[in-house]
Amino acid sequence: MRKFDIIIIGGGHNGLVAASVLSKKGNKVLVIEKNEQLGGLSNYVDSLSYISEEVLKELNIKIEKDINENYVSALSDDLNHTVLKINGNKNIEILQTNASESDQLNFIKLINKYDLFARTLRSFMFKKPPRVKSGSRSDIWQLVSMGLKVRLLGKKNMRELLRVIGLNIADDLEDNITDNILKGLLSNEAVIGTNLGARSPGSILNLLYNQATNNSIFRINKYNTHSFLNSIREICKKNNVEIETNKKVEKINISNQNVNSVLLDTGEEIQTSSIISNVDPKTTYLKLVGAANLDTDFIRRTKNYRTKGTVAKIHIDFENEIKINNLDTKYLSGKFVYAPDIKYIEHAFNDNKYNKLSSNPCLEFYINKNKLSANIYFIPYLINSAHDKKKILSNVKLILEKFVTENQILSSTIETPNDIEDKYNISGGHWSHGDMEIDQLLMMRPFYGSSQYSTPINGLYLCSAGTHPGGGVTGINGINAAKQLLKDNRNE
Amino acid sequence: MNNSFSFTKPLLETPFHERTYEACYNNDWYRWAGYKIAREYSNTELEYTAMRNTAGVLDITPMHKYDIKGADAIKFVDKLVTRNVTEIKSGQVMYIIWCNEDGNVIDDGTVFCFDSNHLRIFCAERNLNWFSDTAIGFDVEVEDVSDTIAALAFQGPLSCKILNLLNVKNIENLKPFYFDDFDLNGCKVTISRTGFSGDLGYEIWCKNEDAISVWDSLFKFNRDYKVLPAGMNALEMVRVEAGFIQPNADFMSAEQALRPNRMRNPFELGMGWLVDLNKNYFTGKKNLVDLKKKTLTKKLVGLDIQGDKPAIGSVLYDKNKKEIGIVTAGMWSPSLKSNIAFGYVDKDHMKIGSKVFAEIYHPEELEYKKIWAECSVVKKQFFNPPRRHKVPAEI
Repeated sequence: MRKFDIIIIGGGHNGLVAASVLSKKGNKVLVIEKNEQLGGLSNYVDSLSYISEEVLKELNIKIEKDINENYVSALSDDLNHTVLKINGNKNIEILQTNASESDQLNFIKLINKYDLFARTLRSFMFKKPPRVKSGSRSDIWQLVSMGLKVRLLGKKNMRELLRVIGLNIADDLEDNITDNILKGLLSNEAVIGTNLGARSPGSILNLLYNQATNNSIFRINKYNTHSFLNSIREICKKNNVEIETNKKVEKINISNQNVNSVLLDTGEEIQTSSIISNVDPKTTYLKLVGAANLDTDFIRRTKNYRTKGTVAKIHIDFENEIKINNLDTKYLSGKFVYAPDIKYIEHAFNDNKYNKLSSNPCLEFYINKNKLSANIYFIPYLINSAHDKKKILSNVKLILEKFVTENQILSSTIETPNDIEDKYNISGGHWSHGDMEIDQLLMMRPFYGSSQYSTPINGLYLCSAGTHPGGGVTGINGINAAKQLLKDNRNE
Repeated sequence: MNNSFSFTKPLLETPFHERTYEACYNNDWYRWAGYKIAREYSNTELEYTAMRNTAGVLDITPMHKYDIKGADAIKFVDKLVTRNVTEIKSGQVMYIIWCNEDGNVIDDGTVFCFDSNHLRIFCAERNLNWFSDTAIGFDVEVEDVSDTIAALAFQGPLSCKILNLLNVKNIENLKPFYFDDFDLNGCKVTISRTGFSGDLGYEIWCKNEDAISVWDSLFKFNRDYKVLPAGMNALEMVRVEAGFIQPNADFMSAEQALRPNRMRNPFELGMGWLVDLNKNYFTGKKNLVDLKKKTLTKKLVGLDIQGDKPAIGSVLYDKNKKEIGIVTAGMWSPSLKSNIAFGYVDKDHMKIGSKVFAEIYHPEELEYKKIWAECSVVKKQFFNPPRRHKVPAEI
């Protein structure tokens, strides 16, 4: 039987980051990936990612920043599109819009307000979240410093943060701006990838959280995801990490609450004392570990962990290079959002609540010459049935026809949350391996009893997006999980 | 459309109701899991005396009954409970408790093994939710069969004799904590030698349609033996004498307690003997291993109290009048001629023979008499006659 110090299940970006950190310390590491291609869901990211500077420093990686100017265009049915220019995070400029002067001013003010709050949240984003009642000094200190950071905002800002943090985005937008396109644009960032509508409480928290992890309100960043993936792959190669693709872990064998070995679908059993699972928490616990080794309360929490995905991905090849009607070609390199107003988003969300397909979905897309790649929402994950993909395509087509004329669709592929679940083994096909809502964040991510990357099973750790700080290509989950494992091994 | 509705839905009636209603002179009903059960038929002491001297019949139909069927039935129960049940044989009954992840007791009950693919759990509280969540990942189906089975407890020194007179073949050779199928007055019934009275006694499980016939046959020899139907008040008396504790009376079920410090682990309840830490993983094992190493801060013990006034709801003190606990159940025991109780005491007074004091408020004609009674800590099992365990049973 082969034997490794540490086995990492799943070759997503977090798994590879963890492998890099652990192999650097001289551990014999094996990464097992189900698919041919490494990187998992991060291959889906069209935009640039926010990769944490701490991760780059820890791994000693240098990747070139993308210095291109970034644009976000909010499409409007009357073809009076709104275009924003993004320089870094803070510097957002409205290039063209139909909105009034005061609306523009208030929009920028609102963004600056969210930015201030997001920066406050950011300080706890990249650390191990404190565990409640652990009694450990570092945990208590972290809780205190969290409170202090919020208090240091000043009386007025602290009150405002506490006012909006549980609020829905629609209320705050309607208090400040009147232009529908601008409202839709910000709502898009608050609800995409979640089970929230613009009027659902907690959508502002989601916006702030996204902004904090990505360091950008529109999730447009400076690092190329693919060059990051290449760099960590190189580090793994250099440190002799063994990577085996096209192999699936069927089961984690446990004896006396300690990790013993993993069983592959090939029938092979590989011995190890430590495992980091990059698989989502639900699959890890219910399928790999098995309910027999876990307490019923814990199983209950695992079962109730919300992982219903709502976003489908579509890739469309057009005959000719794509142009958007009534929009300058220099903005084509940016991101496009079609969520024309709050009501539209809310209606799309209503269908999702009843597990139906929204006939008027929202779109977020990128264009690369004649290729278009879009996130469509809300397309709910379905249990025991499948979506009519033709219908999804025709719905998307109806929207695109308004903006892309004199061009033919040659081919298209659609991946619904169900497809994503099958392909990447993610429960519910959820982007972030579980809803990013207040009861599933920080020390409660994924749920009580499984925080701080550790699990009830000795030697088993989690590093997927189902752990703090959640989804997005940051690499933080992988680094923190690896550090926790090394710390525990030291203490033994 | 059916537009009729009422504000109150009357309590359900058990299959024995036709008879219990006739017998219930006081018309005093107790609410148990949505059913009407007699609290007192005519006189609690008389019903108690029947159970201790001849036999008493208790309608225990509202007990929750869960069928566990499937290839993993035994594995599932083993994961659920703190005892090792992997060795259970067909026809055997085991007393079980189950805990939550913190090692706090949720409920107790009995498990009946029909065969390795079919077990049945009987308990006082609703547990379907907990069982179903525990069943995730096991090849079992948990079904609530409470409404399909009628049940009587037939408890008392003459219970075996009367069943024998009723031509229930070989009943005297049924061992304690075993069950079998029997023929009773032409009805197919399951009889187990179990009960809540701490005496010789049986529990009879039958189909709903056979209920009346089974009830009637138990009173067939009443000219000589004076079998009485017994209510919940009488049951409360015998179970305290027998040392049996009850969820939400002597301890809060961990699934129902709102305050975390009100939950109790098996060691605090004196049920450590039911916890097997060497068996396969079960819910709560991790914490129970830690708890076993710690010294207990409180424990439920039996109390032998000075005087004859029951210490119901009393607060317990040490000799320096420092509060150390509370009485959960107390009574004057007519059989033992002593004043007994269950109570929680602190770590300095857990040992058998320790002295504590109870402050008893005894109502006497519209005034309270305040009594400062000395109590000695004793074993919880106050009443345990040899006939309870004897095989063959006395006929």
